[in-house]
Amino acid sequence: MIVTRRRVLRIGGVILAGLAGTASGSTGGAAEIAMRGNEDGSDVWYDPVGLHVRPGQAIRWTNHDAGNAHTATAYHPHHSGRPNRIPDGAAPWDSGYLLPGESFAVTLLVEGVYDYFCLPHELAGMVGRIVVGSPPVAEPPPGDVPGVFPPVGQILREGSVRRSRTARRGHREHFPASCIS
Amino acid sequence: MRICLAALALAGMFASPVLAADQVAKAPPDGDYRKVSELVKLPDFLPGLGQLYVDPATLPAGPFLAYDHDGSLVSTIYMLPVADLTDKDRRFDDLAAPGGAVDHVDVYFNAGHPGVETPHAHVVLWHVPAADEARVAK
Repeated sequence: MIVTRRRVLRIGGVILAGLAGTASGSTGGAAEIAMRGNEDGSDVWYDPVGLHVRPGQAIRWTNHDAGNAHTATAYHPHHSGRPNRIPDGAAPWDSGYLLPGESFAVTLLVEGVYDYFCLPHELAGMVGRIVVGSPPVAEPPPGDVPGVFPPVGQILREGSVRRSRTARRGHREHFPASCIS
Repeated sequence: MRICLAALALAGMFASPVLAADQVAKAPPDGDYRKVSELVKLPDFLPGLGQLYVDPATLPAGPFLAYDHDGSLVSTIYMLPVADLTDKDRRFDDLAAPGGAVDHVDVYFNAGHPGVETPHAHVVLWHVPAADEARVAK
């Protein structure tokens, strides 16, 4: 089951008050995930890329990338035929394109592992993983790609997993014309 | 002869117009260009690029015409998917270059965005000196 943004807005006060401050990366009850990109658009990512929340806790994505639009879209056959990478019985979500400063929230109630992606940036590796509750078997969905999604065990241990600095291409080489002519 | 002249006239009517630089120097450009932010969900002004216009028929490669906050043309941009650049059977020929004189060129990778949803290369033909790139930095 899933509670979408509108639902959260309508009943959010009750939900958030009851669950405030218990999960890593949370502020005021909602677990926050930032959508980020670097200045020239050569790199994009979710921050954190892995997150552990309690069942019923709101999760909110906000676009902090001034030069791009992003989505948070569950891996599910309803979304362009993608494989199902959310728990049985859970409903898929799609934020639609979020412009800079815009947000989208869902509340996930079924325990398990949820993988999601950004529609225009999946090929660039902009994917994320949420672990809800303490699934009896904390295994990733079938077809897991090691190194792309953070390990489920690491998310459970650390609560929140960010990409390493090296993975964010912190260093950029420039080749002025004089170097390559 | 009369038939030939009529054919030439018709061809002239339907040929794609080649825009002179002064027809695109200020936003909005003449011709079939449309504002990118009205075609896809993207910010109206992209830091580092500016306000973009494109003829939808030329997507994904472009050219995209980029303007500063005062509506002056600063660059012409091509967006070339990496998959196409590495495909030996694919090439981009005769891309329009309506922006006029080019001061310098930047080439760099872009992860994608609405409109060009795959990783691609930005080829930026700057019509202004490098110091004036700041006009579209923010």
